[in-house]
Amino acid sequence: MATQKGKNRRREKNEYFFDYSLLFLLLFLLVFGMVMIYSASSYEAFQAYGDAAFYFKKQLVAVAVGLVGMVIASRIPQIWLRYVAYISYLVSALLILLVLTPLGVESHGARRWIGIPGTSFNLQPAEVAKISVILVCALLLSNIKGDVKKWKYWFGMMAVPLPLAAEIFFVTRNLSSAIIVVAIGWVMVFISSPTFLRYAVMVISAGAVAAVVIRMAVSSGGDGNFRFGRIVAWLNPEADSQGTGFQTVQGLYAIGSGGVWGKGLGESIQKLDFVPEAQNDMIFSIICEELGLFGGGAVMILFIMLLWRMMRIASNARDNFSALVVSGVMAHIAVQAVLNIAVVTNTIPNTGVSLPFISYGGSSVVFLLAEMGLVFGVAGKIVKREMN
Amino acid sequence: MLFQNKVYHRRNLLIFYLLCFGAFLGLFVRLAYIMVCEGDYYSERATDLHERERSIKADRGLILDRNGKVLAGNKSVCTVSVVHSQISDPEEVIRVLCEHLDLSEEYVRKRVEKYSSMERIKSNVDIETGDRIRELKLDGVKVDEDYKRYYPYGSLASKVLGFTGSDNQGILGLEVKYDSYLKGEPGKILTVTDAKGLEVDGISERRIEPVSGSVLYTGLDINIQAYATQIAYQVMESKQADSVSIIVMNPQNGEIMAMVDVPEYDLNNPYALPEEPGSEELTAEQKQECLNRVWRNSCINDTYEPGSVFKIITAAAGLETGVVTCDSRFYCPGYIVVDDRKIRCHKTQGHGSEDFVLGTMNSCNPVFINVGLSLGIDRYYEYFEKFGLLKKTGVDLPGEAGTIMHKKDNMGNVELATVAFGQSFQITPMQMLTTAASLVNGGKRVTPHIGVKTVDQNSQETVLSDGEGERILSEETSETLRGILEQVVSEGTGKNGKVEGYLVGGKTATSQTLPRGSGRYIASFLGFAPADNPQVMAIAIVNNPKGVYYGGQVAAPVVRQLFENILPYMGIQEYNQ
Ligand SMILES: [Zn+2]
Repeated sequence: MATQKGKNRRREKNEYFFDYSLLFLLLFLLVFGMVMIYSASSYEAFQAYGDAAFYFKKQLVAVAVGLVGMVIASRIPQIWLRYVAYISYLVSALLILLVLTPLGVESHGARRWIGIPGTSFNLQPAEVAKISVILVCALLLSNIKGDVKKWKYWFGMMAVPLPLAAEIFFVTRNLSSAIIVVAIGWVMVFISSPTFLRYAVMVISAGAVAAVVIRMAVSSGGDGNFRFGRIVAWLNPEADSQGTGFQTVQGLYAIGSGGVWGKGLGESIQKLDFVPEAQNDMIFSIICEELGLFGGGAVMILFIMLLWRMMRIASNARDNFSALVVSGVMAHIAVQAVLNIAVVTNTIPNTGVSLPFISYGGSSVVFLLAEMGLVFGVAGKIVKREMN
Repeated sequence: MLFQNKVYHRRNLLIFYLLCFGAFLGLFVRLAYIMVCEGDYYSERATDLHERERSIKADRGLILDRNGKVLAGNKSVCTVSVVHSQISDPEEVIRVLCEHLDLSEEYVRKRVEKYSSMERIKSNVDIETGDRIRELKLDGVKVDEDYKRYYPYGSLASKVLGFTGSDNQGILGLEVKYDSYLKGEPGKILTVTDAKGLEVDGISERRIEPVSGSVLYTGLDINIQAYATQIAYQVMESKQADSVSIIVMNPQNGEIMAMVDVPEYDLNNPYALPEEPGSEELTAEQKQECLNRVWRNSCINDTYEPGSVFKIITAAAGLETGVVTCDSRFYCPGYIVVDDRKIRCHKTQGHGSEDFVLGTMNSCNPVFINVGLSLGIDRYYEYFEKFGLLKKTGVDLPGEAGTIMHKKDNMGNVELATVAFGQSFQITPMQMLTTAASLVNGGKRVTPHIGVKTVDQNSQETVLSDGEGERILSEETSETLRGILEQVVSEGTGKNGKVEGYLVGGKTATSQTLPRGSGRYIASFLGFAPADNPQVMAIAIVNNPKGVYYGGQVAAPVVRQLFENILPYMGIQEYNQ
């Protein structure tokens, strides 16, 4: 009786929570991203392919696939996710190695993709790695619970993303993706840890290491090592504006010429081949040029709101595993968005990070949407009256 | 509790969220800094990058002589440039441009390979070469037509006109002095291009029309200039002189009709070095020095010791104050003692007894030393200053040299005595001529000038010459002076300056070039006609003539020849008609 009564009451009170504002924010970002991809790429696309909507169409397909994936992911029972976690880790480890086989696709001087046979689409295994790290870390952390503060477990957990990161770095020569994979894992460990002194120590020592590396790069004058060269170009991009600093300087020109209100949608001039790959990692600079400080600020606010929703869902998740999955997705989006905007504004040295949901890139958007599906799945299990 | 870690989970999630929030906030501040504080800088740089500016050259104003003959005009030439991103075969482009434009491979390669929307390779390419390059239809090579300065008379009046540089900017002479009038305002076509340099449709181009330079009307007369140049070369050759300068001026208003300083140089090829042995091995610096010598206008850029011509000034001061009159008597024993210094007359046996007029005709040094001493240092210096000799003449040419004169405090009687007959100080030939003109024209200081007026593209006139100058000598003294100087030519040391049928006034001079004792002389003659109402005045200076070096024998005939030719040409009536 009691359960029956309870069920009735739940039904009456629209029992399960559905996060409409999160969905709205996500769709808004996606649509805005599509508009900006069209704006930023149409000139170059027409020049290169005779079709101004070339990139737009490819992205549209990816978003459609991603949305279907999102709906499916939101319905996957948690038990399946627990099973699939370890498998996905192994699968992504293998997929990264596939880049070395003839299936690997080289683009822009880097071999980071594998071609999907029978289609013109490519898959970036690093994106699969990100979701698998989220699942594996969530599973392990939910199993060990508070024991994570024990050094043995802590070191073990901190080491979980490292094999994939090492693979991404050494096989695909993609430092930024490796950093993001590690960051996702470590943020998740942090979130499930009762202690935080060791994280403060980590942050301080990371700062010290960064300072030392910058000093080394500066004293080397940027010769020899291309990453040192990037650090030198970061400190003074205009000194080598035709070389290493080219992309950064062009991005800054775009941002700087936007002003407070921008030139208007579609009016960017820097996208006319000046900013390389304007629809990709540098899309935020085109947003700033066309929509100004206002547009750039709006994008940031969208991300802040999106992260807020995810934090609320994680905080109210029914179980540890779900909370950690959402935390992982939140970490992924947050780290990538912050790094991307920091790169575009030349706040940190240039490294290729795309802006979640907005930058052009099929693998990225498909897997990000799949991750969002997991978040919606968790959100859907929250009983509305328990939400606080 | 649904799961046990919830509390610190929530805490840590919030910490992470706040860290992200802080990062976004920091990035927003950074973004605002770039877009607002540095926005102008970056958008300016970006606009520079996007806009291909095609400059529309303004026509440079013509320089005309007093009869409307074109002294400096414009001729069509080509500018060859490359658009980096449109070049399909850089090696071919480099090869062709080197070959046709006669440039070094290194120079061309650097420009062809430079990442810029448009890079100029060479300007002032003649039309035929430009057409040949254009016919090859090389991708990324642009041949644009524009104008080049052209001087129809070649080297004539080269030291006065000057020439222009590769951007049509004045470099020397009138071209630089009146550059602001002549150059006009270049126009622009601003088109927005993409990174490949292709123009983007749909973004309207901005066009700013050029403003043509004003036409400069000068008082020069190309016929007088040509004739003066011809006789200057003649005397330079026959006397093997280093250089010969002639200035012809209207003493009434200071308008310069001709200014010659041979050897002159070719204005259409001003950077050609004179052919001398060893000139190929000169360093760039030596070449520039050599060119500076070639371009130097000694009429105004150099000073000299005027010698006896300067006695005109002493005479004027003496007559004006009354310390001497035409009838004052002097005795010349061939020398004069001033403060224990014995100063010789050029006639060592002495001129004997003579009045002031005869003393001037004889160019007798003791006479003028006496006049100078009678005036005294204070008064002499006062007149020196009043006559305008301490200031520059204000001629409208760049680089006029100033007077090198004793300081008044350092002047003793010996210095005064030497100054009185034209030694121990230096002035420019222009200053000598201008001061003499001002003394004989009725006593008003004139400002020598070449430019008369400019007329802009809207027919707006700007008169360049100053108004009437200040009075520096009385009419009466001026008239007396003219009479005496007429006698110098008709019966005195200047008789070689006599022109049949005309009353000519004048004064000769033979001065040593400094340092003394080098055996180098300057022979000069200053003449004007008609002596009773001077319409034209000329000074001829022969620098370092060989053989006979007296002004009366070397320089006076130059002015005579000139006057014989130009007085009838100028329509000045013979006195007996
Ligand atoms: Zn004498």
